[in-house]
Amino acid sequence: MEQTQSSPKPPSRVPNAKGKGADAGEPSASGSTPAPAEQDYPRPRTKAERRELQERQRAAKAAAKRNAGLVPPASAKGAPAAGAAKGGASTSASTSARGGTAVTAAAGRGVKELKPTPGAEDVGGHSHGLRIFSHFALQKIATHVAKGDVHPSIVQLGLMFSEFKICGANARCIATLSAFKEVIQDYETPPNNTLSRHLMTHLSTQISHLVSARPMSVTMGNAIRQLKLEISNSDIDLPEQDAKDELCHKIDNYIRDRIIIADQVIQETAMKKIHDGDVILTYARSSVVEKVLLEAWSEGTHFSVIVVDSRPMLEGKRLVSVLAAASIPCTYLLLPALGSVITEVSTVFLGAHSIHSNGAVYSRAGTALVAMLAKQHSVPVVVCCETYKFSEGVQLDSFTKNELAPVGDFFNSFPLTRPRDSLALKNRPNLEILNPLYDLTPPSSITAVVTEVGVIPPNSINSIPLALGRQPF
Amino acid sequence: MATDLYNPASQRAVEALAAKLRRRQVLGSRTAALETVVVLRQVISKARFTNIEQLVGIIRSVGRKLVEAQPKEHAVGNTVRKLLHLLREEYHNATKRSASTSPGGFSIAKFVLQGQPKKQAAGPKAESSLVLREDDPDDPDSFARTLKPVLMEAIQDVLDELETVYDNISKSAKDHIHSDEIILTIGQSHTVEAFLKSAAHYRNYTVIVAESGPSYGGHDMANSLSSAGISTFLVPDSSIYALMSRVNKLILGAHAILANGGMFAVTGSLLAATAAHAHSTPVVVCAGQFKLTPLWNLYHEYAALDFADPSSVLGFEEGDLVDKVDVLNPYYDYVQPELVDVYITNDGDHPPSSVYRLIKESYGDEDKL
Repeated sequence: MEQTQSSPKPPSRVPNAKGKGADAGEPSASGSTPAPAEQDYPRPRTKAERRELQERQRAAKAAAKRNAGLVPPASAKGAPAAGAAKGGASTSASTSARGGTAVTAAAGRGVKELKPTPGAEDVGGHSHGLRIFSHFALQKIATHVAKGDVHPSIVQLGLMFSEFKICGANARCIATLSAFKEVIQDYETPPNNTLSRHLMTHLSTQISHLVSARPMSVTMGNAIRQLKLEISNSDIDLPEQDAKDELCHKIDNYIRDRIIIADQVIQETAMKKIHDGDVILTYARSSVVEKVLLEAWSEGTHFSVIVVDSRPMLEGKRLVSVLAAASIPCTYLLLPALGSVITEVSTVFLGAHSIHSNGAVYSRAGTALVAMLAKQHSVPVVVCCETYKFSEGVQLDSFTKNELAPVGDFFNSFPLTRPRDSLALKNRPNLEILNPLYDLTPPSSITAVVTEVGVIPPNSINSIPLALGRQPF
Repeated sequence: MATDLYNPASQRAVEALAAKLRRRQVLGSRTAALETVVVLRQVISKARFTNIEQLVGIIRSVGRKLVEAQPKEHAVGNTVRKLLHLLREEYHNATKRSASTSPGGFSIAKFVLQGQPKKQAAGPKAESSLVLREDDPDDPDSFARTLKPVLMEAIQDVLDELETVYDNISKSAKDHIHSDEIILTIGQSHTVEAFLKSAAHYRNYTVIVAESGPSYGGHDMANSLSSAGISTFLVPDSSIYALMSRVNKLILGAHAILANGGMFAVTGSLLAATAAHAHSTPVVVCAGQFKLTPLWNLYHEYAALDFADPSSVLGFEEGDLVDKVDVLNPYYDYVQPELVDVYITNDGDHPPSSVYRLIKESYGDEDKL
């Protein structure tokens, strides 16, 4: 019985793969191959026949791939765009269902299966290296086409996300929740439906639009999960407007408790780590670290700040202008220059996008380098992070989940002294430009994490849910 | 030293090179070394001296002038020292007509005193028939006349070595790079570029180039490598740690190799080397032998070597922010010897722990400019 069961697998596997390929618009040559597979439906009985069938299908698949390689580039251009869109669509569909990190693995698998054909035409003689980074599925910027019933404030928000006008984990979360408040107020339960069930599906459409603009941040994911919990717990008997008001009130409380007040507690705790005459180093721009520094300065402590910055986003410039406006003595330099100043630094303050249960910090690309070099020179590294940024699961390296910035001079981050045509701003044959936006700092490089429930060493991050009186995830 | 640069043409040449160095118009250590050799050749060919001390004095004063013009360009001083060393060697060869060292005379005392066991063994190569008469009152030019051709040959050797530096370094390229490897490099270095291009003839591999702000030399490097058919990725410096777990080797260029085995390299190299060390990735440095510098002090970590224009970090387009903020743009990093695994030079591969021996062999002990 087992033997005959194993035989259908080869014929059924081939049409499946071809089916997915057909979805992404793989050239029509593949369409012809399922036909021979179907012809073999009267199953071969002997082992030799089965092996012969497998060989035939393998040869047919190889022939189809070769034909696909000869098909003119027009269809190939369709394939990568469709492939990327498909990758994005599958990400959004599954994200709205779970909003976890396991999703990107599925998207990655989907994209990897499509990858061989688009990669072959895109770059003549694609190599091992180009395939390695292929799972960084690049989001298309111009998805202004809203699918389904998307609220105008969500459309506006999606546009601002994709243009990076709102960036930073806290800012994005607050913006999303505020937009959701408007969505909820404008929502009307259709007849024969309950608010608690239908509102969820309505919100899912909004969420998929936001994700298609830019992958969701962990903060947004946690906040949305909490919101969905509140919606499902809302009382069925409440009149609609009351239920909506209660939800908006809960959203306000979430923002107030988990973000605003948490930030204030973190400010007061971290301020105690700054003493007179200190040289504080920070990287890029973290909203929490900015608040800590401003608060410490207004309390009268005299210190100076070194802001380290880097492409692609060059966010540190904004931080420098805020600190300089408050008359804090600042030094500004780019990341490669860090080696020359690290010997003078007393403490390093960093922000985080999210923090994992093993204590690894997922933050702006470049943070890992700063933390590593500081640790080497025995400079304490302090990460300021609210508890709502806690992300379940353990990420082992920066590849599992990352986002690429758009190629080219999107942020105007190149110096004016350098003529634009001497820079490589576009992909060329044999040259691909990658701008990862995030990286993972291992817990060994971090000295302490300041949260609103206290200052904890990185490997005790797991105890946060218990400290908040909740179930551990 | 009134007889120094008595020759006005040589004086002009030296002044011209010193001015170029001062204005930083000489780009790259190899160019600086080549121009120094050319100028010294001209000085020596026109110089008039009657004994070895005068010749050494002439060369020393020229060297001092050039080094003072640009103390951060170590290749100049290195080349002058090397020439002096060769000069002394030729002189010693020429004057030792008798069987100087006993051919099996390898004694510990000699090894410690002179520290050049290799050269000693190869010492009496030129059983020269030169008859050198120093300070001859009848024929003051005889010394110079007999010695000059020999010196010119030695200078030509140095020039040849400098001109073939890239080819010699690239000879071992295919042994260091395997198929399907991922190599990471920082900014732009002609030596590394030649190395990678030569390996590309034999192997198929990928290169990741980090841009290296604010000069962004990585863009030129990436353009050049991709035009040579090597599949290249261009990434900003911020993602070096993120990508390091996938990188098989880090290949860097050097500005100067110091006597303790450490090096000065373009800024960003310390970050990359530290990240590679954290991931146990080998760090390979490609540099010509003319970059070996007999310098070392305890304070390399605390003082950046040289600074470049800050407007490429924070330019005047930022408005009044420029007044309120200090901007730093150091050009070089000091990388400790513990972080480097091998130096690939035109004279073979050496670990950092044996750099001191290379320096003893190339430069004499007496020559401190």
